[in-house]
Amino acid sequence: MTKRIAIVEDEAAIRENYADVLRSQGYQVQTYANRETATQAFNLRLPNLVILDIGLNEEYDGGFVLCQQLRAKSASLPIIFLTARDNDFDTVSGLRIGADDYLTKDISLPHLTARISALFRRQEAFKQPVSDEHITQTGPLSLDSQRMTITWHSKSIDLTITEFWLVHALAKHPGHVKNRTQLMTDSKIYVDDSTITSHIKRIRKKFIKTDDNFDCIETVYGMGYRWLSDMDSTISHG
Amino acid sequence: MASKKLLNLFQLRFGLRAKLLLLSSFLFVIPWFGYQYVWEMEKYLRFGQEQTLVGTARALATALHERSNLFNNQASFLPNVEQGKDLYGYQLTEAIQLDGLHSDWPNFSQRAYFYDRQQQLFASEPLTLNFKSSVGKYDKYLYLFFQVVDNNVSFRGKNSRSITNNDHLALSFSDQNNHLNRFIISNKQAGWISAFSITDNPDDSPKPAPHVQGHWLLTSQGYNVELRVPLNNLGDNIAFAFYDVDQPDGEIVSAIGSAEPSKLDSLGTILVPSPEIERIVKGMRYTNSSIWVVDQHHRVLASAGSLKSASGVWSNKEKQLTENEKSSLWYLFKQQILLPLYYKVLTKPPADFIDKLYDARHLKGEHIVSALAGNAKSQWRLTTDKQALVLSAAYPIYINNKVQGAVIVEETTNGIRTLRNRALEKLFTVILAIMLLGALTFIIFATRISSRIRRLSNQAEQAIDKQGRIIGKMSASNTNDEIGDLSRSFTTAVNQLSEYNHYLENMSSRLSHELRTPIAVVKTSLENLALQEQQHLVSNEASDQNAYINRAQTGINTLNLILTNMSEATRLEQMLATTEKIKFDLQKVVCSCIAGYQQVYSDYTFNLATKLSKIEYQGSAEHIVQLLDKVINNAVEFSQDKAISVELKQQSNHVELLISNNGVLLPEQLSESLFDSMVSLRSACSIKNKQQDQPHLGLGLYIARLICQFHQGKISAENHHSPDGVTIKIVLPTKV
Repeated sequence: MTKRIAIVEDEAAIRENYADVLRSQGYQVQTYANRETATQAFNLRLPNLVILDIGLNEEYDGGFVLCQQLRAKSASLPIIFLTARDNDFDTVSGLRIGADDYLTKDISLPHLTARISALFRRQEAFKQPVSDEHITQTGPLSLDSQRMTITWHSKSIDLTITEFWLVHALAKHPGHVKNRTQLMTDSKIYVDDSTITSHIKRIRKKFIKTDDNFDCIETVYGMGYRWLSDMDSTISHG
Repeated sequence: MASKKLLNLFQLRFGLRAKLLLLSSFLFVIPWFGYQYVWEMEKYLRFGQEQTLVGTARALATALHERSNLFNNQASFLPNVEQGKDLYGYQLTEAIQLDGLHSDWPNFSQRAYFYDRQQQLFASEPLTLNFKSSVGKYDKYLYLFFQVVDNNVSFRGKNSRSITNNDHLALSFSDQNNHLNRFIISNKQAGWISAFSITDNPDDSPKPAPHVQGHWLLTSQGYNVELRVPLNNLGDNIAFAFYDVDQPDGEIVSAIGSAEPSKLDSLGTILVPSPEIERIVKGMRYTNSSIWVVDQHHRVLASAGSLKSASGVWSNKEKQLTENEKSSLWYLFKQQILLPLYYKVLTKPPADFIDKLYDARHLKGEHIVSALAGNAKSQWRLTTDKQALVLSAAYPIYINNKVQGAVIVEETTNGIRTLRNRALEKLFTVILAIMLLGALTFIIFATRISSRIRRLSNQAEQAIDKQGRIIGKMSASNTNDEIGDLSRSFTTAVNQLSEYNHYLENMSSRLSHELRTPIAVVKTSLENLALQEQQHLVSNEASDQNAYINRAQTGINTLNLILTNMSEATRLEQMLATTEKIKFDLQKVVCSCIAGYQQVYSDYTFNLATKLSKIEYQGSAEHIVQLLDKVINNAVEFSQDKAISVELKQQSNHVELLISNNGVLLPEQLSESLFDSMVSLRSACSIKNKQQDQPHLGLGLYIARLICQFHQGKISAENHHSPDGVTIKIVLPTKV
């Protein structure tokens, strides 16, 4: 069954470009130029994935409003913000109201499609039984690369795709320093250094929410970050 | 140079307050004006006093005009008077005790007249006799005092019938009927005198004259005789003479006297103050003046009042204060502080002064001469001790169209001076109060204004830093005046400038935001094209047409990178606003960063010099790293010898981080603005720069400055020499 993707974007050229690339990937794409038409369509039938711009014509926060409405209709519908706004505040707000990922428009199309397919894969994986072959265990951390879920001390941590890829890149080789460029490649984004810093910060916060003593992501100043598993946290300090 | 500095200093010191004070010094004109006014007033008062005084003199003279009988028996008719012969009887103020001593005669030594050879009547032997005499009038008697110097005093023999063969005094005067009365005082011993009345006929025996009373006192030089004669039978003429006899019962050897006493014609005159005129004059004594009536020989006929109490019509007695008023604080303050101060400038008219100008017998002065010549005149003069100013007015007295005397009225200006002083005291007090109040008001006002202006200028200085950047906001004043307006327009200007600055600083971010969408359009289109091309390639195995697509994609990626960098500063600002400061070890961060850079820039040598092991620092480690990234990146690009030295020092209350590279020096004018947004040196020295793939917007050091500001620190760049290069100095305070 073909997946239906809805794109809500006021800029026609971008909208069609995205639509074209997604269609070429085999998705069924519906495009909407403003919130009203999108809302009407979503009331009739929900798509499988929604790509939203935040500013829609005159509505500065139209995307946020739409996201809230969609999230109210379906808790599991994947929503991606794709916007020109690259500030931290908008990122935090977008993720807080339930978006699965927050991307800026300088992301390349292959990266975008990779993310979309990852989201669909994750959705699919949830329908299948947990298979151990995709699970990597590092100390109290367990990574399910199929479902893209992470548990810490058997407690699930809710991460976006980007964040999951970041943690995955770090935890795959505990103790190894990953510099920012490597992290960007692994998480299929291209952003500046401070965005990586704020991503790492957000990840830390999410872990600390479930475990106050979490300090496995170490900043190696001037180089990058590394994952410290419990055992080598003591060793590597020395 | 130094004088210019001094001038500058002077100009600096001469502030608004000083200027206002200088201007307010014109207030001092008011007391000066008041002072002048009081002086003017005094002048008029004096003029008035002069007129009053002349009026008094005229009034008295009017009362005395044409009353010849008052002047007849006063010897005023004589064409001239002869000293010693024409006698003047001083008005005595107290009764005289007849004891032969002159101690109860006031001013005896001055008033006495000395008789010697000049007044010799005859002498058969060399003169051994002289005497002093004084004449006075008290009540109904004429008193005479003689102090005789005689080498040999011979009294009348005990049984001697003769009264002339011894030292004796002959006294003659005319009576009211112009008959000659002759007396001889001839004592047998010292003590009460024995007076005999004699006649011209030598056969008539001398008759005792008990109404001539007196005392004969022996002294070491000779003898004193003090006697009195009742005035009721005394005429205008008088003469006395002493006859010296050296042998007991011997012949008269010499005689000295005022005149030949034996004949009526040869007698001298006596002038005693006239009781009638005195009675008239007494009526005028309530005028607070001192009054004299003189005859044409300047001799005093009558006098009333004393100069010391003659302070003029303006002298009113000072109001007596009640006890309550005297103990009041104001009174005490006035008495103890104000008045002593005032009287440093003012002079109190002396209550006690000495005026010896007028002999009680003989008055001198231009005004008297003028009056006796027929012209009324007033004049100002100082008392002889120069303590008080005296106003004299003289007015002639006419009898039969001839000036027979003059009235002289005198007053001191003490009354006016007291009045003037009192006016000046009041004036001074009021002026002092006004000036104190005024000066205080001025100072408060000036201080307020200058402090407001200074506050405004401080605010303005604090709002704009040396580089002209807006670093703070100004709060507008609410005051509705010119300074308030100034403050408001300043605030508006600063705020607008700040907004404009902010606009400029955010321009790159805004620009990048606006450019992002069209770039995304190009980018996605290119990518689509590339995808299609790939599909074509797969199906057609064809050409290298995609080379153009690749180039376009490279270009668009660079453009994208530029945009990301452009908005980096804005994103950083937003992030910093929500960043919390935590404690971390700055030393460790710097060390590991340098180690990281060593790996990244493997061609370069990094020398880290630090003596410290740990620096506790409150801040954001990520941002400090970002700061280091930017500064090191900058240093690496400008380094010529591929060596970068980093020095970390801890000072008392701040940490100093010095990053130096050797290379091109900074141009002087750019060293301050280097840390501003979109300022870059690279264009100027990019000849050797090969890494043109990296876009340079001059935001790196601006970001470094933003991070420093977040940590309340400072960043500056300085040139260093031999070898030439640039040192970036970062100061981060440890105690905030």
